[in-house]
Amino acid sequence: MKPLLNKELKLAASPLSYLFLAGALMTMLPGYPILIGAFFVNFGIFHSFQATRETNDVLYSVLLPVKKTDVVTAKYAFTCLIQLLGFALAAGLTALRMTALSGAAPYAANALMNASPVFLAFVLLVDLAFNVLFVGGFFKTGYKIGLPFLSFGLATLLLVGVGEALHFVPALAFLNAPAGERLGLQFALLGAAAVLYAAGTFVACRLAQRRFERIDL
Amino acid sequence: MNVLDVRGLTKIYPKFTLSDLSFSVREGSVMGFIGRNGAGKTTTLKSILHIVHPDAGEITYFGMPFASHEAEIKQLVGYAGGAVDYYRRKPVKKLLEVTKSFYPAWDDALCKKYLDVFSLDPEKTPAALSEGMRVKLNLTLALSHGAKLLVLDEPTSGLDPVSRAELLDVFRFLRSQGIAVLFSTHITSDLEKCADDITYIAKGKRIASEPLPSFLARCRETGAGNTLDEIMVHYEKEDLYEAFAE
Repeated sequence: MKPLLNKELKLAASPLSYLFLAGALMTMLPGYPILIGAFFVNFGIFHSFQATRETNDVLYSVLLPVKKTDVVTAKYAFTCLIQLLGFALAAGLTALRMTALSGAAPYAANALMNASPVFLAFVLLVDLAFNVLFVGGFFKTGYKIGLPFLSFGLATLLLVGVGEALHFVPALAFLNAPAGERLGLQFALLGAAAVLYAAGTFVACRLAQRRFERIDL
Repeated sequence: MNVLDVRGLTKIYPKFTLSDLSFSVREGSVMGFIGRNGAGKTTTLKSILHIVHPDAGEITYFGMPFASHEAEIKQLVGYAGGAVDYYRRKPVKKLLEVTKSFYPAWDDALCKKYLDVFSLDPEKTPAALSEGMRVKLNLTLALSHGAKLLVLDEPTSGLDPVSRAELLDVFRFLRSQGIAVLFSTHITSDLEKCADDITYIAKGKRIASEPLPSFLARCRETGAGNTLDEIMVHYEKEDLYEAFAE
């Protein structure tokens, strides 16, 4: 698997996959739906899949002395690596906002979602949607990216909408406290999202392997 | 010993069927695979490389079935598609470096030798190479890891006459080293210079699979032609005549 991941990083990855990690910096924006940052991180990964078609990466990969299913695993490994880098950046900035910057006026008066453990949970759900809908959809054909990306875009829209709406529910207003409230519950939700992300991505990868094994390239 | 055995290979598409194709490639031999456009050559090569899934048939390499020995077999097989470009904007040296990491038997000296023989600059990107040079790059990738069988899809199609002659020399050298070559081509004169055996398919069906000298002798006797070009035209033209007659 290591040579395949190396191949992903050195040959298959679009530079935009790394540049769009900057999307995680949106975590710092007040008055902005900061979950969109997670969308941009995945949009960067999307560019690598787009390049995959132009560079004949799939054909090159299946001809290597590896199992065809390993090609799928490597794509998921690359995707998760970029997502986790984006998540780590967002998590660091969230910690900054919740501590040193918790009293800053733009965040105290922020009408939209503030950075919090629940925000990070939603980031993982956006990432999971990408892994299931886009990457899983891509491996139905090995080259089509339009419909899978559209379905991921719609799922992100839904998640951003739900994430932004939650703290307007009176009982859930604590979710938007700049310094964080009921952090035990929030971290429990983040943990649940992490488990869901890991399990969902694992299942999506297995399904994609089966689909990819069956298709003609 | 056969390095490749194909038995009863069948692939059904809505408008095309490759039917019951069988042939073998012997160790240290050059097998020419001919047929006109749409005859099923690429489908056959893709099937034997597991890129498409046959509907029926059995494919074994070195006596091993592909499905259960995929990674092991791929170490021993090299593939070059004449018209396929990999990673057009990455330097050749990076492509070689990454490819090398998959093959324990990769031979740096051999790789350098092919780069020199083909006058390939590893600092360039495939996008900066001519079509013929990109074919040579694909051949370098396929030849540098000690493959025992080379599968080449139209490897000579983009090459000038001198490069083609050099490539045929490479095939003859590989044969002398016990390496088998299976290559499809439209340029049948190349086959007459270097092929030991020939498999000829038309409309998804096998016309012949036998040693080239006996195939040519048989065709001469039956009046089908003296060269592979004439023989192909003879077979295909007959079909067209019948189609008009209907």
